[in-house]
Amino acid sequence: MIVELFLNIIICFAITVSSFTFAFVLARNDEKYSKKSKPALWALIALWTLVGATYLPTTIRMIAAYIGKPAIDTIMYNMSAIPFAFISVPLVFFITYVMVGNEKISKYISFIFAIFGATYLGFFYSSGAIGPIVTEWTSIFIVNSDIAIQIYLMGLFVFPTAMILGLLLLMFITRSIAISIHRTVLPLVAISFVFDFILTDFITSVDTIQVVSRVFVLVGTAQAFLAYFPQTVFNERISTKGKTESPEIDEENDEFEYEDDIKT
Amino acid sequence: MSEDIDVELEQEVAVFYQSFGINQGPGDIQYRLILKVLENKDPGITEFSDIRKYTDQFADRGSIGSKMKTVFQLEGLVKKVKRGGYVITNKGLMAASFLKNTTTFYKKTKKMGEIIERMP
Repeated sequence: MIVELFLNIIICFAITVSSFTFAFVLARNDEKYSKKSKPALWALIALWTLVGATYLPTTIRMIAAYIGKPAIDTIMYNMSAIPFAFISVPLVFFITYVMVGNEKISKYISFIFAIFGATYLGFFYSSGAIGPIVTEWTSIFIVNSDIAIQIYLMGLFVFPTAMILGLLLLMFITRSIAISIHRTVLPLVAISFVFDFILTDFITSVDTIQVVSRVFVLVGTAQAFLAYFPQTVFNERISTKGKTESPEIDEENDEFEYEDDIKT
Repeated sequence: MSEDIDVELEQEVAVFYQSFGINQGPGDIQYRLILKVLENKDPGITEFSDIRKYTDQFADRGSIGSKMKTVFQLEGLVKKVKRGGYVITNKGLMAASFLKNTTTFYKKTKKMGEIIERMP
């Protein structure tokens, strides 16, 4: 029994389950969100579904590597490339919609990224991948097309990452507004985390880097979940910046009572 | 220096500051409009009728006259050069610059607020 590979299976499974759960919980609570934020919400749901859909075949692939089935490993690797290629589409829609506020423009821009994704897949499938190379940590494939990697890096990675960083920068510049950290900045940091490390996971040829990337993807998913559904302790610590004390109401006299006594 | 005064925007900005409990200065539509008109006419003389062109929909003649006397003249933001004629002072121009900053802050806050509103 290879413990490291087993650990990898657990990590991939955890990413799959948490991503799908997060997407499901977001979709179930969609009536809680305002009409203006609905398009961005559905983009977010699509994004997390694609993350889950990328890691579901990856989990099966790791199991296949664990039990020594390279054919299944290869099939699953090719399957996971499809959601992976389109992860940037809902991400770009999310960022452009949040920044510009126009659904139509956001659709057009994300469509360009869908074309990029399809082109990546075209090159990826036509060139194939070298592998699987099973180590004690993981099973690795090396993308056999430099053009596919270039397309992914230049088209599907650099622009969406720059968009996230731009939005984060904008939020930090306008710090004058008391924004709730866990609802605005944290999801963006989490998305950036997941997005960056998924790419590292897919293009690296070093097994330990791949496992570490997967750990970070899992951390990013948990971070995003906490951003939208903060736990009590977390919420108390960072969500409310300026707490205001409301005056106590004397119900008998129906008057406000303020605490004037200052203990010295 | 002459630019159109967007009365609707000025009112929006004033309401925005009023929501912070700032009812004077940046939160006062009369103050904003008077200062804007004075700044626009600088370095020339601003007639009382020039101011009333913008303020009539918000306040009567008396309250504008009173504001000119009790705020603008008293604090040295304007100098009365003739009957119903005023010239903005350096201090007044500083106040006008501050008012511009309040508009910029409002626009920035509004834009950011809209972005945050669109975030689920």
